[in-house]
Amino acid sequence: MNRKTKKITGWLVVIALIIAVQPLARRVSLDRLVLGINPPTPWTRILARSNQDPELAVTGVTGVIVGAILGGFREVAASMLWMKTDTLWDKGEGTHAQALWTMRLTTLLDPHWLEPWRITGWHLAYNMFVETDDPKEKAKFLQMGVDSLKEGVSWNPDRYDLYFELGWTYFDKVRDYEEAAKWMQAAIQFPHPEYIDRMIAHAFERLPDMPRALDWYDYCLKRNPTDGTAAGATITIRERYLPAWKLMEQGKYDEAIAAIDKWLLVEPNSTLGLHMKGLIYERAGNLEGAYEAWKLAGETSALNAHAQAKAVEIAHKLGKPVPEVAQSLFREKAKGGMGISRPEEEAAKKN
Amino acid sequence: MRAIYRVARATFHEAWRRRFLNIFLVFGILIIGSSWVFAYLQPGAELKMIIDVSLGSIRFFGMLIAVFMGTRLIPDEIEKRTIHTILTKPVSRAEFLFGKFLGGIATIFANVALMGAAFLIVFAIKAPQFRAMTTEGSMSMEFMTGNIVKAVILSFFELTVLMSIAVVASTVFSWIIAAIFSFFVYFVGQMAEFFNQLANPERDIPAVAKALLGVIYKLLPHFEIFDIREAIMRDQFMPWNVMGKIVAQGLAYTLIVMLIGYLIFNDREV
Repeated sequence: MNRKTKKITGWLVVIALIIAVQPLARRVSLDRLVLGINPPTPWTRILARSNQDPELAVTGVTGVIVGAILGGFREVAASMLWMKTDTLWDKGEGTHAQALWTMRLTTLLDPHWLEPWRITGWHLAYNMFVETDDPKEKAKFLQMGVDSLKEGVSWNPDRYDLYFELGWTYFDKVRDYEEAAKWMQAAIQFPHPEYIDRMIAHAFERLPDMPRALDWYDYCLKRNPTDGTAAGATITIRERYLPAWKLMEQGKYDEAIAAIDKWLLVEPNSTLGLHMKGLIYERAGNLEGAYEAWKLAGETSALNAHAQAKAVEIAHKLGKPVPEVAQSLFREKAKGGMGISRPEEEAAKKN
Repeated sequence: MRAIYRVARATFHEAWRRRFLNIFLVFGILIIGSSWVFAYLQPGAELKMIIDVSLGSIRFFGMLIAVFMGTRLIPDEIEKRTIHTILTKPVSRAEFLFGKFLGGIATIFANVALMGAAFLIVFAIKAPQFRAMTTEGSMSMEFMTGNIVKAVILSFFELTVLMSIAVVASTVFSWIIAAIFSFFVYFVGQMAEFFNQLANPERDIPAVAKALLGVIYKLLPHFEIFDIREAIMRDQFMPWNVMGKIVAQGLAYTLIVMLIGYLIFNDREV
């Protein structure tokens, strides 16, 4: 074999080896995918995200951060970005697009770091929410906050923290108590602080769903017999609301309303009393009465978005013109709730 | 084989006399040793930060050592004209090339082992402390130590591939161009999956571009496969058979690259 033939043979062997290694490469790629150990690929996801939000330009990434990412220090890069977000916050630019982008990028770079998810979700659902007066914009920020927390949950499914954070956002901001209870019940599947058990009972109490609220207070008391809040709430529900609930279940709506009114005379602005009244009227098919009760509850407390959203929902059924409420718009759009998926995956599904 | 062993041994001893390589090693160990200080950058996730900084340091300083040593192995011999003395002895070009490469690999192995040992010591001291003081107390650590050892092993094989690229590049270019080329391939190789996604048949881009991206993906060494930090963070058992496949893929790439190096070096005038 002369020198030239040897050379050609050598290159043919190289090509053959490159082809031969491809099935192994595919196998490894598949194994990593199945095991779920592929690193979050920031560049692809950042690009995908940029396509979704073109107004969020990549302005927060400095050379140092790019270097850190490329050098393999992903978490360090995430910490640097987080500090940058902090600086922007201190400068009063926390609600600017750049701060939102650096927050988002931090979660992309280090999805197992809980704090950025928590703060980003809260920032969107609370701070950005109050930056606008337009209910549609407000609903958009609620959606973004909730989506961000759900994505965080999908990266950290075995920790209680983000389930609770999501439950709390539903409880306190969206005021969708059914959803709040679902996410908090998911949170308590993992080691968690005691107050979360009680929060579930509070959520059912405000829905209102008194039997389920009592079940959860009972659960709290079994876990901790000295839980004064649970004990007090149990007495209040049994004394004030359970009789009306039972009458409602028996279809004795007028008597149920009378039982609730008895307590509303003592405490006319009682949130739970008004919620109960709204529900009884709704079950009785008296939508006008239900609307008035929910409307009153919403007016009594400016933060009672649950009552406001219920009033809007019933007003729509009655054909009444009512001003839009952000939480109501959000709820209409986000029916379904417990599905965990990442925004990029949802976008991919649509495509 | 004896000639390969002798060249490799000489290369290994010579590598420890190169001051810049020692400096990289010392820096790497210093950063790993102080990784627990960096951990406070992420309150509530200190343990994760130690792992990231330490594994990142092993990969980063390992990469510097692999590239700067790999690209100097052959050009230095040509520059000092010692290659003529060696090749006039009964040492073939192939033996010289593979001997140099294996000597470099032995050096990388020693460096990674030292940095890995430093990491394991810091981890053994600090992990229980951080786990107790943060919410990471609820974090599972059943497979963590084993996964860390596996990650260090995979870092070594990743650097083996990089080293082969650096050595081969230095047979074509000057060492500085070879170093730039090696860094470029390393960084692009970290994003190999990105090219695969771009070459996805469902993507709306011209067929030629798609084909080209597919070829780039197939030719590029897939450096990201050596990164198993996700498994560590999630405390997920990293199966040995998958480890074996990753190592096999790394060794296959190394073999291909070294074969290309042999074909080029055999034709080169020195």
